[in-house]
Amino acid sequence: MFNLTQVSLSFRPGFKSAMLLSGLLLSSSIAFAAEDAQAMLEQSDAFRNGWSSYVLRVNIKNFEEGKSDEEKLYEVSKKGTEKTYVEFLSPRDKGRHLLMLGDDMWVYLPDTSRPVRITPLERLSGDASSGDVARTNYAADYNAKFVRTEKVGSLDCNLLELTAKRKGSTYQRILYWLRASDERPIKAEFYLTSGKQIKSATFDEFVQVRGKTLLRRMTLYDQIRKNSHSVLEYSDFAPRELPDKLFYQGRSDRF
Amino acid sequence: MSLHGLVPVMLLAAVMSVSARAQDEQDSSRKDNFRYSLSAIEDFTVLGGTIAPTLESRFQNRLLLEPSFTYLYNNRWTLSSKVVGESETNGDTHEHLLVRETYAGLSVADFDFTVGRRLVHWGTGYAFTATGVLDPPLVATDPTDRLNIRAGRDMVKVDWEKGPHAVSLAYATSGLSGSQATVKNTAAFRYNILVNGFDTSIIAGKDLAGDSFAGVTFTRVLGQAWELHGDAAWRQHAAILIGGKYTARFGMTVIAELFSPPNIPYYRSETLSPSAGRQSYTFLRVGKSRLRELPGWKEWDAYASVVSNLQDHSGVLVIDVRRGFGNHFSSYVHMEGPFGSKRSEYGAIPYATTTSFGIRFQQ
Repeated sequence: MFNLTQVSLSFRPGFKSAMLLSGLLLSSSIAFAAEDAQAMLEQSDAFRNGWSSYVLRVNIKNFEEGKSDEEKLYEVSKKGTEKTYVEFLSPRDKGRHLLMLGDDMWVYLPDTSRPVRITPLERLSGDASSGDVARTNYAADYNAKFVRTEKVGSLDCNLLELTAKRKGSTYQRILYWLRASDERPIKAEFYLTSGKQIKSATFDEFVQVRGKTLLRRMTLYDQIRKNSHSVLEYSDFAPRELPDKLFYQGRSDRF
Repeated sequence: MSLHGLVPVMLLAAVMSVSARAQDEQDSSRKDNFRYSLSAIEDFTVLGGTIAPTLESRFQNRLLLEPSFTYLYNNRWTLSSKVVGESETNGDTHEHLLVRETYAGLSVADFDFTVGRRLVHWGTGYAFTATGVLDPPLVATDPTDRLNIRAGRDMVKVDWEKGPHAVSLAYATSGLSGSQATVKNTAAFRYNILVNGFDTSIIAGKDLAGDSFAGVTFTRVLGQAWELHGDAAWRQHAAILIGGKYTARFGMTVIAELFSPPNIPYYRSETLSPSAGRQSYTFLRVGKSRLRELPGWKEWDAYASVVSNLQDHSGVLVIDVRRGFGNHFSSYVHMEGPFGSKRSEYGAIPYATTTSFGIRFQQ
């Protein structure tokens, strides 16, 4: 890697040179910080996406005033960063599907048997939104900026500020705390375009699967209705070659 | 069956067996999958202000049992079925069975072959369709098919999908479609492509012993809150549908559609006179799924819709309220109130209101 210390020692500056050098150092360090932040984000994504093509199940329990009032089960099939297919498995939602192709998203409803385009704002509805389930590659959706290091409990963390870089991003801005030693996600805060915080999250439990450390449980706290939170449990992780036709938006012969 | 008759069957079985074994060896991602669901719906409807001849006919009770399953073998073979058993009491009690879908499918490389009854939706509209040549008829006052009783067409269909391109060829027969006079044997073609966010299709075909038709469809999301969709078709004359959806920040959605079909038997509603000329319709729906902003209302959905005929100024106001209970049960109220002069399309409906109460169990 480029060594800033060596560069600074090679100058014998006057005042102008010093200013020039400072500017150079500042812009270089900003560039490096941005690169490093994006690399950190990519590293943290690996805790949520173990393979380039895989299947997993997500069980979501919604809590209202501390009591569990609803449970949802999903099977998520993911191929690369652009293709996600979510099958709804809980009894009241059976037959529903969600398809994400880059910035485009469709929902399949059993009562209409046709794909319905959904807008980015529709992805935000619900305690844990469709965006929370389907979009877990933050490096593809957000630009990362390193803010500072700080302690979360006893852990040294890197705090990143993520800003949406595409229409399909679920949130406009995320503050993301990653454990400094390995960039494992620790907690996050999610913000709307208006600047209002809508949710926060803690990444509570990780598990070893086929030599990879993967997120097992996270909790999403509703910041608008403070007495509401959702626990997302991930299971049945499996790398799998998924056929492209699974991700074709015109298919109606889904389960 | 004679020995000669058995030979092709045995050959076919051998080819399928070899093909499946070869696929097994190549494909490390072999996957068998079985999904099923079972719904039971109790629906009680009261007609208000009716001119029906007997008091009993003002009340209708429907009990529906709706099992469905799909079996996917090796990402290649599919067997799927959705049926509805219904017991209807409206004065007398009648039972009947409706096959919504039952088909077998085979996927080979980029091709999918399907035989059987299929629900196909090629149109883009919520309440109306101009291009849905194989679609089950949409009911604008019940676009989400509250009782899940829309049935597909009996067809042979081949789909080819590669990257953003998809081509479908279908031949649908009218033979088993019941009494709908407008349903004919139909050969249809569809090309679909997703490019720059535009989900666009070209549709063409011919009703055997009937009309030829052609059309285009599109859907597109604009920014964070807007979705636009539209169909344009030619079948003797032009038919146009244009619609959009707006999502507010707090989750409320507004759907609006304008539909202008020619007054020909294919598009004409049963209550409309053939001499009425071209009619234009609008559909407006405002509502929200999960009223979670209100304490204690998280399980409630509420929608209000208006379907209108712009020519005779008649229409129907529709209110839908649903509530979920736990993981298996939900209930609903569906109300319709037609308005307009007695000679208008919707004003001629022989009741002032209809209110349906229902309980649904899903497993």
